[in-house]
Amino acid sequence: MSIKSTVATWTGKSAYWFLHTFRGGGSSLPGKLALKLDPAILKQLAKNYEVIVITGTNGKTLTTALTVKVLREQYPDILTNPSGSNMKQGIVTTFLTAPRAHQKPLAVLEVDEANVIMVTKYITPKAFVFTNIFRDQMDRYGEIYTTYQKILDGVALAPEATIIANGDLPLFNSKKLPNPILYYGFDYQPDADTQAPANTDGLLCPRCQHILRYHSRTYSNMGKYFCPHCGFERPQLTYKLNALTKMTPTSSDFEINGQTMHLNIGGQYNIYNALAAYAVGRFMAVSPAKIATALSENDEQVFGRQEIFHVGDKDVTLILVKNPVGLNQVLQMISTDDRPFSFAALLNANYADGIDTSWIWDGDFEQLPKLNVPAYISGGERYRDITFRLKVAGVPTDKLAIVPDLTNMTAEIQKLPTKQVYVVATYTAMLQLRKQLASQGLINGGMA
Amino acid sequence: MTYTLKAAHLYGDLMNTYGDIGNILAMGYYAKAVDATIDTDLISLDDPFDPAKYDFVLFGGGQDYEQTIVSKDLQTKKAPLTAYIENGGPFLAICGGFQMLGHYYIGAQGEKIPGIGALDHYTLSQDNNRFIGNITIKNAETGQTYYGFENHNGTTFLGKGERPLGNVIQGHGNNGQDKTEGVIYKNTFGSYFHGPILARNEALAKRILKLALQRKYPDADFSVLDELHEDLTKNVVIKP
Repeated sequence: MSIKSTVATWTGKSAYWFLHTFRGGGSSLPGKLALKLDPAILKQLAKNYEVIVITGTNGKTLTTALTVKVLREQYPDILTNPSGSNMKQGIVTTFLTAPRAHQKPLAVLEVDEANVIMVTKYITPKAFVFTNIFRDQMDRYGEIYTTYQKILDGVALAPEATIIANGDLPLFNSKKLPNPILYYGFDYQPDADTQAPANTDGLLCPRCQHILRYHSRTYSNMGKYFCPHCGFERPQLTYKLNALTKMTPTSSDFEINGQTMHLNIGGQYNIYNALAAYAVGRFMAVSPAKIATALSENDEQVFGRQEIFHVGDKDVTLILVKNPVGLNQVLQMISTDDRPFSFAALLNANYADGIDTSWIWDGDFEQLPKLNVPAYISGGERYRDITFRLKVAGVPTDKLAIVPDLTNMTAEIQKLPTKQVYVVATYTAMLQLRKQLASQGLINGGMA
Repeated sequence: MTYTLKAAHLYGDLMNTYGDIGNILAMGYYAKAVDATIDTDLISLDDPFDPAKYDFVLFGGGQDYEQTIVSKDLQTKKAPLTAYIENGGPFLAICGGFQMLGHYYIGAQGEKIPGIGALDHYTLSQDNNRFIGNITIKNAETGQTYYGFENHNGTTFLGKGERPLGNVIQGHGNNGQDKTEGVIYKNTFGSYFHGPILARNEALAKRILKLALQRKYPDADFSVLDELHEDLTKNVVIKP
C-alpha cells in the first residue's frame, strides 16, 4: 500500500468513525475525503474482493438486497453498499467501513448507471447484473440508449466479466459484446402475437428499425419479443420463470427453472429482481433449494420500497416512484389487492426527484378510477401538477383531498375511510413524509 | 356526446418521450365541459396520414435514435401534413416534432437531418450544452403567460410567417439569443416546452381546443370554455 492510499484510507476511516459515532451518519463524506487524497483509492480498498456490480434503471436496490441474501446462504463475508450510496463516494465509503474479512470476501454493489465506469477503472468485477433500462429522469441521465452506452463504457474495461442480463429487454440484446452473457426472463405463457402499447419506449428493432412484436409480454417493452421483419428475437434464456402461480400486493409464488419459490414482496417487477438474484446465486453455485429458502425469508424492509408503517389504525404502504414504468408497475400491483384501500400521490420536483415532472403523464393513472378507490390524496410541492393529473385520469373531485404541505400528512391519512392506504411518492417527498413519521415515533431513524 | 374531434398522434409510439400524450388527455378533459370527446389514432411508420380525416394533430418529441428513423418516414407524409397545416388544421408540435416541421435539424452525431419544411424554421445544435430547466414565456397576442420545462440541445431560428409562441421571461427558449420560444403559424403551434404543455397551461389548451371545435362545428357556440376555470386549490386541506 502506498503512503498516499494509506493516508487516504486512514482519513476516510477516521471521518467515518467520527460521523458515525457523533452524527449517526457518514454514508458518503468519508469516501469523498479519501478520494480527494487518493483518486485511485478504490483499487487498494477492493483488491481482495470478488465484486458483483448491479446496475440498471429500476430494481437495483432490491436486487442487491435479494442477491446478498441469496449469496449469504453460502458465503459468510459479503459486503454491500447501503441503499442510495450507489455513486463513487458511497462505494468507497462502503469499502472503507468494511469489517476485516478472513477469507476472500464478496462484494455486491449497487452502482448507478453512469458510475459503472468509475468502478471498473479500479476494480475488475466478476459479474455485472443488468436489471433494465427505462426512461428515467432524463434531465440527468439522457436517453435509454445513452444510459445503456454509459454502462457499456464501464463494462468495456472488464471484457472478461460475465454479464447477467434481463433477456426480456430488447436493448440488452442490441450490441455485440466480448463478455460472456447469461440471460434471465419470463417464460411461462403460451406463444401468441401481440404488440406493446403505443405509450412505451424502446419499441424499435435494433437491427432493422421496425416495430417489435411479442409472443408474450410482461410489462413496458419487456417480454418474448421478435421482429417479424428481420427475425431478431429474444435470446435463449438460461434462468427462466416457468410458472407464475399467485400474485398479491405483499407476496408472489412462482417457479424458476422448476424450483418453487415464494417471495414476501409484491409486484411483478420484484419477481424480475428475484429472478436476477436467482441467476447470480446459480452463477455463484448456490443450490436452487437454498436460493428458494433465502428468497422466502421475511424481508427486512428496503428503505421506501413497499415499506409498511402504521398511523393510528391505518396500515400505510409507502412506495417510491420516479418514472412511468415503475409507477405503472406499482399501480398494477395494488390492483391485485382485494381489500378496500385509499391512494395518495405525492410529487416533488427537486434534483433527487427529477426536476421535470412530465413523466406523470405517461403513467397510467387512468387505472385508478376503475379500482373503486374511495378516497384519494394528492400532495407535495408540485401538488397542482399531480392533482390535475389525477383529475384528468377521472378521479372524482369529491373523493380527493389536496395536501400541499406534507408536514400534515399523517393527520390526513388518519381521516381516510379505509384501513389500507397506499402512498406513492417521489424521493424527496418520501423523505419529507418519513421525517414527519420519525418525529412522531412512527418509524425508526433511517433518514439517509 | 354531441361533438367529436378526431386527433392524430403522429408517431405516438416513437415520439412520446416526455408525456406528450398529456396534451391530448388535457384537451379531452376540457372538452367534456362542452360535451365533446376526442378520439385518437396513432399514426406510425408506414401508416398513411389523411389530412381530411383529422381535427387535431399532435407530434411529440423523441429520443435521438427514434427521431432519425421518424425523419425518414416523415418524408412520405410531407405532402399531406403540409396540406393539413396550410389548410388551417390545428396542430401541436413539441420539441423534436417542432424541429421536424421546419427545414432541418442537426442530429446527435452532427449530421443534418431533414424535416418537411412545412414551416420556415431550422435548427442547429449546441456543443456540449443543453438548455435545461423551468421556463416562463408571455404570448404577445393574448398577454397570457405559459409555464413549462425545457430540455434541448437544439437551437431553432424562426423564419418567414412565423411568430413565436411567446417571449422568454425566464429560461432559454428557441435559441437562447432572440428571446423567442416556440412558434405559431396559422393554426400550428410549436414549442420546446417538454411534453404536456397543455396540461400546465389551461389557457393554451382551451385556445387550441376551441380552434379545433370551431373549425369542425362552425355554427356551434363554445364560449362556455372561456368562462371555465380549473380550480386546483378547491380541495386543499391545508394551505401551502
